[in-house]
This record gives sequence, structure tokens and C-alpha cells, in this order.
Amino acid sequence: MDVRLETAVSLTKPWATETAEPAPYRLDVSLERENLLPVISALFAAEWGYLSAITGVDLGTAVGVVEVLYHFCEGPCIVTLRLRVPYDDAQIDSVCSIIPSASFFERELSEMLGITIVGTPNADRLFLPDDWPLGVYPLRKEYVMQG
Amino acid sequence: MMTVAAPTTQKSEKFIVPIGPQHPALKEPGHFEFAVDGEIVTDATVRLGYVHRGIEKGTESRNWAQNLYLLERICGICSHTHAFAYVLGVEQLAEVEAPPRARAIRMVVAELERVHSHFLWLGVGAHEAGFDTLFMYSWRDRETVMDLLESLTGNRVNYSACVLGGVKFDINGEQTKGILEGLDFLEKRTHHYLNVIQQDALFLQRTRGVGVMTQQQARQLGVVGPTARASGVARDLRIDAPGQHYNDFNVNMILETDGDLAARFVVRIRDLFESYRIIREILSNMPEGDLVVKRMPRKIKAGETISRVEAPRGEAFYYIKSNGSEMPERIKVRTPTLCNMASVLTLTVGQHLADVPMILVGIDPCFSCNDRSVTVTQPSGQREHWTWEQVRRFGIEYYQRQGGQ
Amino acid sequence: MTLNVTQEWQGVLDKIKNWARINSPWAIHYNSGSCNGCDIEILATLTPRYDVERFGIKLQGSPRHADVLICTGPVTRQSRDRLLRIYEQMPDPKFVIAVGTCAISGGVFQGCYNVIGHIDEVIPVNMYIPGCPPRPEAIIDGVVKLLTSLQAVPESATA
Ligand code: SF4
Repeated sequence: MDVRLETAVSLTKPWATETAEPAPYRLDVSLERENLLPVISALFAAEWGYLSAITGVDLGTAVGVVEVLYHFCEGPCIVTLRLRVPYDDAQIDSVCSIIPSASFFERELSEMLGITIVGTPNADRLFLPDDWPLGVYPLRKEYVMQG
Repeated sequence: MMTVAAPTTQKSEKFIVPIGPQHPALKEPGHFEFAVDGEIVTDATVRLGYVHRGIEKGTESRNWAQNLYLLERICGICSHTHAFAYVLGVEQLAEVEAPPRARAIRMVVAELERVHSHFLWLGVGAHEAGFDTLFMYSWRDRETVMDLLESLTGNRVNYSACVLGGVKFDINGEQTKGILEGLDFLEKRTHHYLNVIQQDALFLQRTRGVGVMTQQQARQLGVVGPTARASGVARDLRIDAPGQHYNDFNVNMILETDGDLAARFVVRIRDLFESYRIIREILSNMPEGDLVVKRMPRKIKAGETISRVEAPRGEAFYYIKSNGSEMPERIKVRTPTLCNMASVLTLTVGQHLADVPMILVGIDPCFSCNDRSVTVTQPSGQREHWTWEQVRRFGIEYYQRQGGQ
Repeated sequence: MTLNVTQEWQGVLDKIKNWARINSPWAIHYNSGSCNGCDIEILATLTPRYDVERFGIKLQGSPRHADVLICTGPVTRQSRDRLLRIYEQMPDPKFVIAVGTCAISGGVFQGCYNVIGHIDEVIPVNMYIPGCPPRPEAIIDGVVKLLTSLQAVPESATA
């Protein structure tokens, strides 16, 4: 394992519920939602990489969960923090207090998948048009495109 | 966005200046709002979405091969980057590896694309600064790269060089010769441009010390590509994460430390020399062999993967998840501009409104992911709408007045 | 103009206006959701290799000065109103050129949720230039064809 990944493993250890190495140079850390901010602060304090993207993946109505992935990159290494956000309590803490530039990613996540970002500085729509119906989230699986 | 207290030396008058969403020389619409105090920017926000098409969702109802063409059309400037990142990801999932010759050809196209993109940007940057002569020159020279790309791929934009498991065409001796000749010409011109941007006093007035981003800031904001490298942050995926591709040929890191607009110009121009060198090296060591793998499955194994490619503007990030069927479960694309945009908005705070167009252009924004227009709101609630062109003129005239003093 | 201008004079005036329009059409460009490919090629037609400015064609920023609207890309929900507004701000007579497959049919983006369709579902189009993207030569050819077709109009109208 790359030393940088080893550092990441030890940094995230206190909160990780599961750690996996799905591919070379990749580390997947599953977390409870509440622990997002502490983990990110730890990575940030150690200057471990930068937040490269936030991906939301809807697992489908049967599961009723959106998986939110925070990808941190450092050189060839990618650390992915994995959280599960249920539909009926679709909330997540904003990381903008630590990483201000995450604002765009959070705005996208919230409009596309219907997740409320608690404490984000700007919750306006970023991509979706002004006349887009409220409560419709295009990247949810239940949203089917006509055409 | 972030708010930093602006220097309030003069008696202040607050406005909001919205820019956009359409601009004659730039291609895409976008809507920015700048709050200004006097002429100093105090806050900046952006509204994108004029060109948001819903591609990520679209991929979920198209098969793996169709998606290649859809994703390639996320952006007409760095179309190969998107195709490249996508095929890399899908190949990782399917556990196939493109043959060495195909990998080399992909890199040649990627570097040619970088050359075309940097020339394009140089022109646009020059135009924003009011240097239309440089704009015209750089676009004239850019046609040379376009000819090369066309001779290879048959199309000037959206080349479709990649297919799943390989590439679509070969490079023959004649084409190689053409490329080498083209590069010689471009190299000569590039020296000239490097000279201009480093020595022309008027140009430097618009770029030196403008929009400075320190190394520390660059790290924290998570900027990527030339924008990061201009601030001394060594971030280049061709070197950091060569994958199966850039392993075969080495790439040198191009770094500048000033972190201002001038440095962003210099980094990109020096990047060009590196690209010329890489292309030459690949062409003279072209591996033999097939262009496509023997068998590329139609259904891709379930799983998820991340692939990253160094686009002309920085890291393009792809997350691909397959459920084992003919269509992807989820594809997430994060373009470099989205990363850099947040940073640039932070940078404009505390700067002169006159510098805003140049600072924005400094990251080489690619708005197929983004938009622009300006509105000015006075405290009385009065709102003025500026077009990008007006802001550009404001900037040029401001500096003309400065020059006249 | 509304003074006692005889029909004959009106005809002459129209001819002059038409002559001016054909010899130096001013264009405005709007991207309603394209991938940039078409836009780059439009810009390329203005630069030295193709240089349409030598034919008097000028690209400029304000719809109020434009004779021709050059559209690229499919129409997204967010840009639809903007496109309409630009079209409405243009003085008559106005002409619209749809550049690229997307502008003509929606292209690869057909069916994406934020794409509502192609240009002529929103505003009338006079000239279609296919290609993804069309080469600069094709764009110039399209413009020339449009201008040629204009030449025919007043003669039949005033004759
Ligand atoms: S026609 Fe092709 S090049 Fe033009 S906007 Fe559409 S996808 Fe892009």
C-alpha cells in the first residue's frame, strides 16, 4: 500500500466503520453521517490531498438510500468517504466551513438528488433552471426521462 | 461565496454587477453577480445552467458505446479528454487494456488537443485584455493544429479518436511527417508568444500581480491544472497518476511560482513546449501492434471505478458505476472548470472590477459546464445590467486611462 | 420616412437598405446549450484563415444592431427565454441561422431532461447548417446562401 494511503487509513481510523481497497491507489472509507466533519477536518489538518468531487449515487427506491461519496485526491491516490443518506431523512452537514470551495459540489448534490445540506453558505440552484419543479430531483432513479 | 473585507479608502457606493449570460467572443453563456464597493469587488456568485443539458442522467438510458459519443460532446474544446477518461474507466471495469499502439495514439491526440486548447485560450485571453492582434495571430496559428487533428481523425472538433478498447484510426508515415512539420512551425510561433506575454509592457500591465493566488490558497481551494501549477502547486495527472498511458513516456512538470495572471499565461505557453516534446517522442517511438483489443464485452461487469485525465484545464474526474448491464448505473463527471471556478470567484474579491474579465479568463473557463452576464445593483435597489462586453470594455478603458496618466 | 414618400422612392430606399444588409450583415451569436464545438467553429470563421469580416460580416454583441442571429446547440430550459428575448429585440427584418446538428434536431442530447428541443421549436429558422460541428467553410457557405436568397426577395417584392 502506498504510504499516502497508509496515512489516510490512520487518519480516518477513529471513525471508519469499514475500510476497503477496491483498486490500487484507492481507499474506500465508510462512515456514519455524523462523523463526516471530524474526518474531513482530520484530512484537512494533515493537508491530505484536496476535495476532488462529491458524487451522489441513488441506490434506487427499493433501498431508499442515496450514497454520497467524497473523493479526495493526492497524487495517484484517491480516498473515497462513503456515507449513506436515507430518503426520509435526506440531510447532510456542509463541509464548506472547512473547505469553502465545496460550495459548488454541494449545490449540485442538493439540487440533483434532493439532499438538504445543513449549513451550506449558498443553497441556490447551480445548474437546474429557475422553472424546474420543486421536489423533483433528476438524478434520483425514480425520475424517468421521457424520450 | 466567501466574503473578505474590501479596502474602503474612498467613500463607498455598493453595487451588484451581474455579468452575462451572453458574450460575443466567448462561446458560452453564464451569469455572474459581483457586488462592488466603488470599483472593488466585495462578493461574487455565479448561476450556471444555461448550457446544462442533463448529460449525467442521459448516460443512464444509453448503452456503453453510445455514451462515448454523448460524453465526448460535453465539451467541444476538450472532447478527447472526456472520451479518454470514459474509455479508461470502462476498460478498468471490463478488465481489458488497450493495446500499446492505441495508447500511444490516444496520447498524441490528447496532446494535440492540449495545444489547440491553449492556443484558443491564448487568443481569448488576449481578446479580453483588448489585444485583438494577438487574438487573431494565435487563432491563425491554431489552424495548424486543427489541420493536424483533421488529417488524423477526419474532424476538426469532436474527433472520436477513442473507441472502447482502443482507437479508431492509425497514424501513418505521411501523417507523422505532417505532424512533425506542423509542430516545428508551432514551436517557432510559441517562442514568439512567450516573448510577447513576458515582455510586452502593456500586456504585463493587465496580467502581472493581478488575481494572485498563493500556493497556500491554491492548495486549500483545490484548484487543478495550469491554474494550480501557476501557483507552484505541482499537480499534473500525467505525472502524478500516469495510469497505463503516460507511464510509457515521461512528462516534465511545468511550474511557475508567481501565482498571478502572468504566471498562468506563462505556464500554459511552457506547457505547449512540453506537449510538442511529448508528441515528438511518441511519434519516434511508436509501438507496433493492434489498434483495438480483440474482444470488448457489450455488457460491462458490475462494479465502480474512478478515472482521471489531465485535461488542458486540469483534472477531469469520472466516476463510473456499472450494474452489469448494457447501460451504466451512474456516471459522474466533474470537469476541471467547476473546481477552478470556485477559486476564481474567491480571487475576484478585493480586486478591481476592471480586472474581473481577465481573472475569469485566467482559469480558462469552459462553460459547457458553466455561464455569464453582469447586473449592477445600487443600494437604492436600482439594478443595472451589464453585458460581458461592457465589463470587458470597462476593463480595457480603465487601463487606457491609467496608461494615459 | 412617413412624409409624402412616393412609392417609387420607397422602392429605391428599400433597395438601398437591402443592398446594405446583404453587403454587410451584422450577426449576433447565441449558444443555447451547445457543447462549444459549433461556437469555436463560428469564432474560427472570424479569424484570419477564414476571415468573414472581409465580406462585411460582423459579429457583435447587441441584438438591437443585428440582422442575423446565429444559434448553436439544443435549447435548454434555462436558455429558452433568453433566446426568445434576443430574437424579439432584433429589428425587422431578421434572419436566423441554426448551426450544427444540435440546433437542427437536438443531436446527441435528444431526450436529456434539461433539453427542450431544437431551435425551430422556439423561433423560426431561415437557414440550417448541418454538421457536428459544421466546418467553417460550411458555415460561410450557409451565410452566403442566405444572403443570396435575400437578393431575390426585394426584386419580386418591388417589381
Ligand atoms: S452539433 Fe456537435 S459540435 Fe455542435 S453543439 Fe452539437 S454536439 Fe457540439
